[in-house]
Amino acid sequence: MASEPQSPGLREVYDYTEGNGYPGDQQSLRLRRVSSRVSNQNHPQFDCSSTSTPEEEDEEGDSGPPRDIRATALPMAVKRAVRQVQQMQVPVVSRRESWKRKNTKTLRKLKESGRGVLSFFSLWSKTLQKIGGNFGGGVQSFFLFLRFLVVLNFVSFLLIAGFVLIPSIVFRSVEASVVNSTGPEECMDYEPNPQGLVLFYNYFLDLLSGTGFMEYSYLFYGYYNNTMVEDSKFSYNIPLAYLFTAVFYFIFCLICIIARMGTAARVVVATGGSTVGEYSMIVFTSWDYGCLGDGATKLKQKNIHYRLQVDLEEESIKKRAAALSMAQKVVLYFLRVFMCLVSFGLIIAAFYGIFAATEFSQLKSEQKGILGLFFEYLPSIAITAGNFVVPLLCDQIALVERYAPSTTVIVALLRSVFLRLVSLGVLLFTLWRQITCDGATNSEECKLCQYNHKVYPCWETRVGQEMYKLTLFDLLINIAVLVLVEFPRRMVVDNWSNKLAQWVGRQEFVVAANVLALVYGQTVVWTGALFCPLLPLINTIKFILLFYFKKITLFYNCRPALKTFRSSTSTFFFLVVLLFGWGLATVVMIYSLAQIRPSMGCGPFRFFSSMWSIVPMSFYNLSHTTQEFLFFIGSQSFSIPLFALSCVVMCYFIALASVYGKSVALLRRQLKLEGRDKQFLVKQIESLSQRHQILRHTAGAHN
Amino acid sequence: MGTTASQLGKDMLSEYQELTFLTKQEILLAHKRFTELLTKDEKDLPNTRVSEERILTLPELKSNPFRKRICHVFSTSEYKDGSLTFEDFLDLLSAFSDSATLEIKSHYAFRIFDFDDDGTLDCGDLEKLVNCLTGETDDTRLTTEEMRQLISNILEESDIDKDGTVNLSEFQHVISRSPDFVSSFKIVL
Repeated sequence: MASEPQSPGLREVYDYTEGNGYPGDQQSLRLRRVSSRVSNQNHPQFDCSSTSTPEEEDEEGDSGPPRDIRATALPMAVKRAVRQVQQMQVPVVSRRESWKRKNTKTLRKLKESGRGVLSFFSLWSKTLQKIGGNFGGGVQSFFLFLRFLVVLNFVSFLLIAGFVLIPSIVFRSVEASVVNSTGPEECMDYEPNPQGLVLFYNYFLDLLSGTGFMEYSYLFYGYYNNTMVEDSKFSYNIPLAYLFTAVFYFIFCLICIIARMGTAARVVVATGGSTVGEYSMIVFTSWDYGCLGDGATKLKQKNIHYRLQVDLEEESIKKRAAALSMAQKVVLYFLRVFMCLVSFGLIIAAFYGIFAATEFSQLKSEQKGILGLFFEYLPSIAITAGNFVVPLLCDQIALVERYAPSTTVIVALLRSVFLRLVSLGVLLFTLWRQITCDGATNSEECKLCQYNHKVYPCWETRVGQEMYKLTLFDLLINIAVLVLVEFPRRMVVDNWSNKLAQWVGRQEFVVAANVLALVYGQTVVWTGALFCPLLPLINTIKFILLFYFKKITLFYNCRPALKTFRSSTSTFFFLVVLLFGWGLATVVMIYSLAQIRPSMGCGPFRFFSSMWSIVPMSFYNLSHTTQEFLFFIGSQSFSIPLFALSCVVMCYFIALASVYGKSVALLRRQLKLEGRDKQFLVKQIESLSQRHQILRHTAGAHN
Repeated sequence: MGTTASQLGKDMLSEYQELTFLTKQEILLAHKRFTELLTKDEKDLPNTRVSEERILTLPELKSNPFRKRICHVFSTSEYKDGSLTFEDFLDLLSAFSDSATLEIKSHYAFRIFDFDDDGTLDCGDLEKLVNCLTGETDDTRLTTEEMRQLISNILEESDIDKDGTVNLSEFQHVISRSPDFVSSFKIVL
């Protein structure tokens, strides 16, 4: 590093990327040798940008000049001169060194061109930039989340298509089945194709509810056969593929979500988790230099103003709350507990409403025509109504509770999440009760086939149909709200200058509610994917349509929200909520795989006692060595050391994280001490110079 | 050495690629946009210096509240008038580009916020900064009481050596905690 010239202004710069470490060569006057040594060893790397340069740490001395030159804050002409000096100074390098350097250079160029190609493929990036500039980071994070879900669903569809759909289509004609056993005749009675003449409008009804011509198709579980193709060089077991694809789909989604959460969480861990404080962060980092246009700039300024005001107000509220008298505190807490109970009561009432609606719908499942369609969609209608009404009421409750504004938002969101996901759970629970006769498989209807074969000859298809209906209904409701509520509202507000119209005002794009809608939709898809393999594809199309509809409504109908989410923490929070949904869907999947008997009249698992039982059966068809190997992996002699090793690795990472946090605290203390050293020195200089002047005066006086 | 006319030589292009964080396409686009600002006779001269008013007609800078400070910081003119040559313009875009490092962005952000150019952010700088952020009109400014409280909060949080100002290291310490800074300190043509 000695050969690199440094301009005087740079001396105070903390050069994190050059790995210099804290200037430990400058000893403090108070002889803090120990602490400076420690800080040299534990030098943290604050790599917040994605273009962090780990390769710089490998290059020592003056190798890799382009990257170093670019990272110096000098004007172009000076940089050019510095580079020329460096090039003249290049010492004789070994052939290996120059080869290594050329390699890193070509690798870097390749990476940059690769990144250029990838950005070409990145979906909707210009639109997202426009949205971010005009409406802020919070709204943009919603659209980023939507884009992530579109890609996730599309890739899952490709997975399912490749392993289940295409082999099913190809081997459709093959009649070889895995297990040839018979069961009671009544259980195998399944007639999905409608008999006789079908009225025209029934096709439309069937499209909406997944019955009729849509029921016996690749859309639903019931159409897949339990074929196993056995060739001399190729064998394909469709039921096994179906099962493994479903399980792998869930694991794949989990990995994607966690990977995406990782980037946000990494920053928190590396900086030791402590918060510097919001005010400096807002003032120094909140301006978005990508804002285009006067309107967007004014909007951003208003946002920042609002944020600062809200934070200052929250601080004064906290001070006031701390100064409350005992009696006032008691009253406030009592009020809060009461309101909590009220909100729980509301949620439970909503559940009961959904439960009753589902029961009623099952009761009236024989109705035909439009009324029949209405009864079929009754659970979805009840769920949507609940999801509209209860959050509104919860918002009013939150006003009474008088939490700090940020706490209010989080509490309201959690309540809505709870409501949404468990309302779906209630629907599933009701279905389960009907299918398995309340879990009592010895009761009248379920004794024969272990499930209610009269009402549900093919229960998996039925569950798939419910999920299909939920997805479709969600999309239709969104379109209907857009056309019937948002556009007219905007037209009324713009053209009718009435006091009432102005008070209602233009629509605000509420990010939290929209995100919850996405999470709900995705949870429905996950729950239904086992029974309706094409559901990810339908969901991809639905989310793409939703992206465009939401974009249209955002630009034409909405005024920007004044209260914004911070984009990085909000992305993390959306993914956490998505994980809740994933958890619910996983529970459903595991239960269906392990506990409920598959239908005997349809599907690839028709002659198995449970869906999972095909795995042990196929296991014994494997070669002997593979069986031994798999037994060994599952045995204790392998899993216990593996578990111990992963514990050690996790402890290492936790220790690393805490060390980083400690070194941050240490460096802050050093900074403080340096400041005091500076003041001490200045005082010393002053006193010395004063003494010197006095001496001179007295010497002069003598003379 | 400089750029002439509307041609950007291949060797100049590769040199700029090495000295800045910009890709080839970005440099060419910057060159195109810069030459659009020049008048006909200026196009033939090498190393033309474009005045601040013309630079500020670019839509990316036009409504930015820090536009004058940005031009001032990146300008290499002796008269400190905020005029930029093409190379200054490239320096600007490089610091604001996608691939610039956190250190260089925070360094330039500090210089942009340092309104009196004395190397530290004192109360006057912070006040001007907050006014830029919230808007200069009377109804968008914070009240004096709020401003006082805000500035004292900021100094309490970020002034570690308690000298009443925020220096570069303290500034970078705050910045390093913000995951949004790198993505928001971006100007893309």
